[in-house]
Amino acid sequence: MSKYLVVFAQAHQEFRVPELESVAQLYNFKISLSDEPEERDPSRPFMIIELESENHVRLLAKRCILIKSIYEFYGRGSTYEVLHLRNRAKRHMWERYIPETSFKFIVAAYNHKIPQHRQKEVVESFAYMGFMGKIDMKTPEITLGCFEEYATRNGQTRERHEGDGDFLQVYFGRLIEEGTARPLVQLFDVKKRSYFGNTSMEAEISLLMANQTLACSGKLIYDPFMGTGSMAYPVAYFGAQVMGSDIDGRQMRGKQTTPGVFRAASQYGVASRIIDICTFDVTNNPWRCGGLFDAIVTDPPYGVRAGAKRLGRKKELDADRLALYHEHRTNPRPDDSPYIPPTRPYELSDLAVDLVLLARYLLKPGGRLVFFLPTVTDQYEEVDIYTMLCDGMEVIANSLQDFGSWGRRLVTIRKVTSELYPPPDFSIRDSEAQDETQRVPAHRHFREKYFQGFKKAEEVEAENLSHLP
Amino acid sequence: MVRLLTHNLLACHVKGCTSNNFPLQFQNVQIELREADFNADFLKNFLPKLEWKALVDSAKDLGDTSLPLEQPEMLDDEFLKNLHHVLLEIHVEEGSMTCPNCKHSYPISNGIPNMLLAEHEIG
Repeated sequence: MSKYLVVFAQAHQEFRVPELESVAQLYNFKISLSDEPEERDPSRPFMIIELESENHVRLLAKRCILIKSIYEFYGRGSTYEVLHLRNRAKRHMWERYIPETSFKFIVAAYNHKIPQHRQKEVVESFAYMGFMGKIDMKTPEITLGCFEEYATRNGQTRERHEGDGDFLQVYFGRLIEEGTARPLVQLFDVKKRSYFGNTSMEAEISLLMANQTLACSGKLIYDPFMGTGSMAYPVAYFGAQVMGSDIDGRQMRGKQTTPGVFRAASQYGVASRIIDICTFDVTNNPWRCGGLFDAIVTDPPYGVRAGAKRLGRKKELDADRLALYHEHRTNPRPDDSPYIPPTRPYELSDLAVDLVLLARYLLKPGGRLVFFLPTVTDQYEEVDIYTMLCDGMEVIANSLQDFGSWGRRLVTIRKVTSELYPPPDFSIRDSEAQDETQRVPAHRHFREKYFQGFKKAEEVEAENLSHLP
Repeated sequence: MVRLLTHNLLACHVKGCTSNNFPLQFQNVQIELREADFNADFLKNFLPKLEWKALVDSAKDLGDTSLPLEQPEMLDDEFLKNLHHVLLEIHVEEGSMTCPNCKHSYPISNGIPNMLLAEHEIG
């Protein structure tokens, strides 16, 4: 195994390691990260990983949305003295470039800008390497990178270049591959999409989700809350075939004759991979059998801009109205079509439990369920995720996208059983009848909590009292 | 665009309709043929999940008789090409699918099947 330096993009820190691991699993190669918690700290933009071949570096750079570039790792240190000492010891790795290889030097910093005169000093301090090839800034044969990592100075004002040279670590290596997956974030930009809605998922996250599903050619992937299809496009772009369903066909259709999902898919050249989109309620679904899909990926509606719905009524009809309903159904009037059945809200924590059960039924063994779960930051505990698990399903990644008082967690669950399970019964749970001993997950009644501004119960009570005369 | 792949996975799910509820019968269909990328791996992965007889019969209803009555053990190129065409290139754009048992009719409009159930049909 050889060591490589990964330079990450400044986004979605908690998603970095799960993405690396997913892509390694997709292409079936080993990746080894340091055991030191400090070295795995997701807030640091540089990470040393070990891989068996440079080919694996290229696969990571081709597929990981969060990778900016990957370098062959020569050395690092808390000072330049240490770095140079270590780099000299790695002479066997770079001496073949000494005689006549054209090269370029990059000197950059994280959380800081190095003044130009010191950038020059840094480059000159590597003079002992004795490269004889010419410097070529446009098309060099090799690129050497030197990166200083500074501590965050969040929100503090400071003088220009203040603290220059006061870095935590400096890293040095040779560029192997620039990340080529990152530009996909622009390609899938929702604003440039021919069809989208107010709940469409941003491009970068939907690409990260697609990587978590291990999407590739030959696979069939299902989105049970398809909406405007945000999940489908990147998954199909990576080669998988997609099946989608939604209780509300209008979301998938849009207003023109050609359904919106197919128009957007055509824009990305993947229309033929969207196998079909169907209108049905996932709690009353027509799937003939289980074990169909390689992955299920979805962004379930959590009630802020759009609430989850399932077939049924909020209140049961009384006998008279029920008779009237049956009368209308047996003799429909011409203006009564298409018939739109009544729906009732689908509480988020119930939906999450059902979704995991449904995934266990519909996934092939080893298949993955990838979805977003909103949560209240103050109330979240890791056990929340486990309140929705069932036998045969295992959490393999759980990354937070933090919005302050709330956030959403990208949860990846793997089906670890090859046993056959029956489809879930989707029974309507009595939301009031709570088992006292069981923890109430923070995502329960998320909508209500969101519109109360995530205040604690006592604060809401106090506020209600203050409105009394 | 209900394709035969999808059709092969959909059964009538009206409350209590649990036998003879598959395959759904196409009615008054409008068909379009559209090319799709050939992907042998996908077809091979998917083959074990197919109800073969239902696929052959439904293809025949739509006017395609290229598939053998028995699923062959040897998957040669010609067979895979025919299977690809039947599963992925025939699109039912309009019409409906009717349950052979309870006669519930699922309409297809602009290629999207409406599998929603009415209030008295859900469990």
